[in-house]
Amino acid sequence: MNAQHGPVRAISRALSRAIIRSFSSASSTSSRPPQSAPAFPFKNVTKLNFDASLAELRHHVRASDFVAIDLEMTGITSAPWRDSFEFDRSDVRYLKVKDSAEKFAVIQFGVCPFRWDSCNQSFVAHPHNFYIFPRQELPSFGTSYEFLCQTASIDFLAKYQFDFNACINEGISYLSREQEEEAKQCSNLTYDGELSDMWCNLKDVRDIPLVSMVDILFTERMKTKFSEWCDGLLQDRRGEVQFQRTSEDSKQQLQVVFFKMRPALSLDGFTSHQLNLIQLVIKKHFKDLSYVSVNNENSSLQHLVVYTDSKDDLKLLMKEVKDEQHKGAEMKIQAAIGFRHVIDLLSSEKKLIVGHNCFLDFAHVYSKFIGSLPLTAEVFVSSINNYFPHIIDTKMLLNANYVLQQRMRKSSTSLSSAFVLLCPQIAINSRSTHPASDSCVKVEVQVNDLRSSSWNPGATHEAGYDAFMTGCVFAQACSHLGIDFKLHEPSENLAHKEQLQKHINLLYLSWTNGDIIDLRTGNKVAESSGSLNLKKRCPVILFENIVLIWGFCSKLKANELRECISKVFGVRSVVSVYHLDKTAVFVQFSKTELVSDFLILKDKLERSDGPISVLHPLAKLLEGGNTCAASYDTYKEICGSPISELLFADQARAVGIKWKSKLVEQKVAKESEQDENSSEENIAPSSSKKVKSLNVELKKQSTLLHCVL
Amino acid sequence: MVSTPPLLRRRFLCTTVSKNWTVKQVTKSNFQESLEDIKNHISSSDFIAVSLQKTGSYSAPLHRVLSIDTPEIAYWKAKYAAERFQVLQFAVCPFSIRASNYVIAHPYNFHLFPRDELKIGMPSYSFSCQTSYLTATAREGFDFNSCIYDGISYLSRMQESAAKTQMGNPIPSPDVIKSSSVPTLADTLFVQRIRSRIKHWKNTCKSSSLKTDEPLLWSIRKIVLGNEEYRSRPCMTIDVCSERQVQLVLEMLEDFSDDLVPLIIPAKGGSIQAVRVVWTSSKEEKELFERELQNVEEEENKKIRGFREVIELISASQKPVVSHNSLNDFTFIHSKFIAPLPPKVDEFMCSLRMVFPYVLELNILMKKIGPLRKTTNISAAISYLKNHFLAPIDIEIPHKATVNEGKVHGHNALKICLLFAKLCSILKISPSVIESGNEDLAPTLKGLANIFSRFSTNLEEPVDGNISFWSSSTRKVMSEHLVFLWGFKGGITAGMLKGLLRESHDIFSREFDVKLVDKSTAIVVFWQPGLSQTFVDIINSDGISGSLRELVSDGLKGTCYETYKRVCRLGLWELNLAGSLDRALMKTDCYLEDDSKRIQSEMYWYNDDVINLEEL
Repeated sequence: MNAQHGPVRAISRALSRAIIRSFSSASSTSSRPPQSAPAFPFKNVTKLNFDASLAELRHHVRASDFVAIDLEMTGITSAPWRDSFEFDRSDVRYLKVKDSAEKFAVIQFGVCPFRWDSCNQSFVAHPHNFYIFPRQELPSFGTSYEFLCQTASIDFLAKYQFDFNACINEGISYLSREQEEEAKQCSNLTYDGELSDMWCNLKDVRDIPLVSMVDILFTERMKTKFSEWCDGLLQDRRGEVQFQRTSEDSKQQLQVVFFKMRPALSLDGFTSHQLNLIQLVIKKHFKDLSYVSVNNENSSLQHLVVYTDSKDDLKLLMKEVKDEQHKGAEMKIQAAIGFRHVIDLLSSEKKLIVGHNCFLDFAHVYSKFIGSLPLTAEVFVSSINNYFPHIIDTKMLLNANYVLQQRMRKSSTSLSSAFVLLCPQIAINSRSTHPASDSCVKVEVQVNDLRSSSWNPGATHEAGYDAFMTGCVFAQACSHLGIDFKLHEPSENLAHKEQLQKHINLLYLSWTNGDIIDLRTGNKVAESSGSLNLKKRCPVILFENIVLIWGFCSKLKANELRECISKVFGVRSVVSVYHLDKTAVFVQFSKTELVSDFLILKDKLERSDGPISVLHPLAKLLEGGNTCAASYDTYKEICGSPISELLFADQARAVGIKWKSKLVEQKVAKESEQDENSSEENIAPSSSKKVKSLNVELKKQSTLLHCVL
Repeated sequence: MVSTPPLLRRRFLCTTVSKNWTVKQVTKSNFQESLEDIKNHISSSDFIAVSLQKTGSYSAPLHRVLSIDTPEIAYWKAKYAAERFQVLQFAVCPFSIRASNYVIAHPYNFHLFPRDELKIGMPSYSFSCQTSYLTATAREGFDFNSCIYDGISYLSRMQESAAKTQMGNPIPSPDVIKSSSVPTLADTLFVQRIRSRIKHWKNTCKSSSLKTDEPLLWSIRKIVLGNEEYRSRPCMTIDVCSERQVQLVLEMLEDFSDDLVPLIIPAKGGSIQAVRVVWTSSKEEKELFERELQNVEEEENKKIRGFREVIELISASQKPVVSHNSLNDFTFIHSKFIAPLPPKVDEFMCSLRMVFPYVLELNILMKKIGPLRKTTNISAAISYLKNHFLAPIDIEIPHKATVNEGKVHGHNALKICLLFAKLCSILKISPSVIESGNEDLAPTLKGLANIFSRFSTNLEEPVDGNISFWSSSTRKVMSEHLVFLWGFKGGITAGMLKGLLRESHDIFSREFDVKLVDKSTAIVVFWQPGLSQTFVDIINSDGISGSLRELVSDGLKGTCYETYKRVCRLGLWELNLAGSLDRALMKTDCYLEDDSKRIQSEMYWYNDDVINLEEL
């Protein structure tokens, strides 16, 4: 069960995708293989067609009854020990989801609005497949964008021919609300604050000693040119013409332009050293000229020498330039919002959002498009509830309702198998051979002007299709729950249907152990007894009875460990031993006191050397001298760290855990903490030396023992 | 140093960086066949140029190498990047320089992806991507799909040995050395028991091999009697509990006639689980079987090593490797293909030298030509040399055109060849191994090998800036004379900060300078020894007064160079240096203790106000 959760989720989908295909080939009575059927087009949205598609989507979402979403990410877990376990307390589970959402990127976002068409007595779905990529659109914005890829997930996507080039080259970028605010503040600071004069402030120009002959000549040359141009401007309004004539050789470098209704020279093709010299010349010799650098449309820096009539005019010019730059910066920020417009649309329309096992999806939505994830699940869900007041999870729905369970015939509730079972008429590429039964909700998929009542894109893995499947499963499930769409009024909000009230705004915090969280209240709900979730029958885990042990000898197996501890605390003392990875285990004791007893004993054994500690049954566990142990809370602490080392023992070290046993009892814990603080750097090495010498002792003794035996 | 000769604008004589260069693109599908080719080319060439295409280069702006960095810090920064990011393409170009201006090159470009081919969670669970780096790579026409779909996987040397035990494939036993220890009673009993088992089993093997069973009967017998088979030969598995028992079994098998072949089956934890004995009917049969085993192992190794086979070929050739920004590239090579990077730079250099005895850094050669000292871009350097020197180089690429024509992948390695040849020609270094007469590297180059350029990125000035200006105002400064200051008002300039400080405390009546590292952090350099420590003590003490107290109350913080070192060693990269320094101060109790010896490092202090990060 501790196998990689991400790929497993994905692979289970892939498997059922394969089932769809085999189904379709089995049922298609025609000789024509399904592959050769004209492929129904995908609505792929990249930055090239984003604006048009957004307008269209806006229209579809407004008219829709619900919107299904699905996300493709670059990975699920940043380290094997961060995987979803049965031993996850709900707060730990949230920290794991948070870590995943913060580290990995979303590279595809499927949005599929569904609208009930009362004329055709069917739903019309408009699947959209957005390629998104966290491209850095604002150059001045300090953040360095970086994201993690889980090799297995990327490889999985590659097997389904995910187009990484499209994603990186043409993916739509985005800014979260938080980032937008930051960018705005940043630009305000740049253009309103003290920094504002930086780019046109002449005081900052350093006095460069003109050492080389080349520099002196160049400076003189520039001086003459500028004074010629100035004189020409003053004497003759047609001076420009004159100037152009006299400087044909450097036409490319100095061009007469108008900047903010003032005559100006645009400087092109100079090196930065030369530009420095020009700035100096202007500062020293020309009162009427000022040196300005502005960002032009291509966001490259343009250097200009501008003529102003008076000091006031100069001030006015500076203000104008500043305002324009500020406006330009704001426009850029607006443009950088990108894909978040879609999220804002879903939020503002307050439509019913449908996802499949979508707690992680919403964590991604939050961290990418709203702001940094809160520290606790409760704060997170209440915030999500604010943005999306109606969320329904199809996995939740399928497992919570008896009627649907019967329908599902106890099979897996993975998205694709649910789709095959509940919506065969859509999944299977055959309109005639499979007469739709009465209970089947008709769904027509529409892309641009094409419509079809079935859609099976074959061996692809696209978020748009997954969103479509999710929506279909939801529509079908609603029908089984007794919602008759034929009586459905367009004005009516589906989210307020009585039949859905028991299921709405409930998400699986953890599917593995059936933890459910209520988005409205933040309360955790245990799964109802009628649930299909097979794992619910596993015994209740008492987290206060758990000891986390890591850093022991890698050859030690779970049963040896159990045996070793049972020898000390009694045969029934250990309820279960669970491997986190090869370097760490959870040991669940039968009684809470045993946790502190164990930690105290371990501590004692490590402090004393001599034959008792060597012959002690726990010596096997402590072999190597790096074995650490603590209560369950330490696991939470370590999960909350942003670091992700591959092995848990390495992670604990990277997080900065120096102690070897964290005693549970409050008093003792405090003492040891003080110890820790006072020791700092002097005591630590000596204590580790002690451990080492103890180790050597242990080894000596054990070899002795071996010989004796 | 070579003085710049008069401008020679004779472009027509120089080789241009041509789009028609054909670089052999190697993916999963044509890897095995290319391996043979490149093996020949490596052995026939004098040098090997390498260049890597990665998923990122740095995590924060300050993660780039700065002028205030010691070599150790530069290594830590490179290490941090090498451990996070992934190599997507590895360009290898074996080349020889003939007659000083004629280069024969065999450029290859390997597409890599750390796919878990053996389903053992290796070579890499996850890796980071730097968005801006990917976007820039994409703009050059990089094909990510080709790497991810068809990239060649690999395992490092370290991972290979781990994988072998993890997969538990049988290993042919090494030659037995008789142990000198006296057998105990338990040993004797064990050997006797096993001996009789083997004898019995061998006899059955012999007798059954005489009978020619029907295939069906044979398979039924196999199922019923539970006879084991290995590669369609009968075998028997002997469970063992210790290394000692393995030794005993192997010794005992020596006594049997030579128709038994022992194989060792490793357990998951790295120990030995069992010894498998395979029966071969005759001596010829035995030899055949042993050869078969060897082939299987070789095949297995090839599969496990993947692309690393190329690294092994380069390493085995002991030829000099030419690269650009070698610290960055070789930390990647070490961590992906050899072993995890050691914590110290000396250990890294040592370990690397074992694999690649000569690494030639282009930046070192470029520094010999004055104006190129600050150039870090290969193309810029080539075009500079083209315009200022007469050193035409002809490149011949004997490759035939490949399928992936028109793509610009892997040209960097070729550019390295070209630039190297040009530099050698201008600097009058004879690179030709044959001309210098001995098999070894030319003495001049030998002196330049294994020096890693500290500054992989340019700090000070654009290429065309007047260098003499900068060097004239360069002052050497010891790292311990530096103090990092942060927590001041945003938007302040170095000059303003200097003014504020001068009025804040008496200590600033002596000579000092202020430089901004980024918007958040400044460095203060005290030219008088000892003052930096005094200042750090003052700013962190309770008894501060006057306007310095005001500044501290407003959030000003100060720390010594050691804190910056800790930031780099632990990779505490935040958006700005202030954040990183804060984190480092919080982590004072970190598990890695500082070196007791504080190495005083010299660095150059440039007399401008701001370290211009935009220029990096």
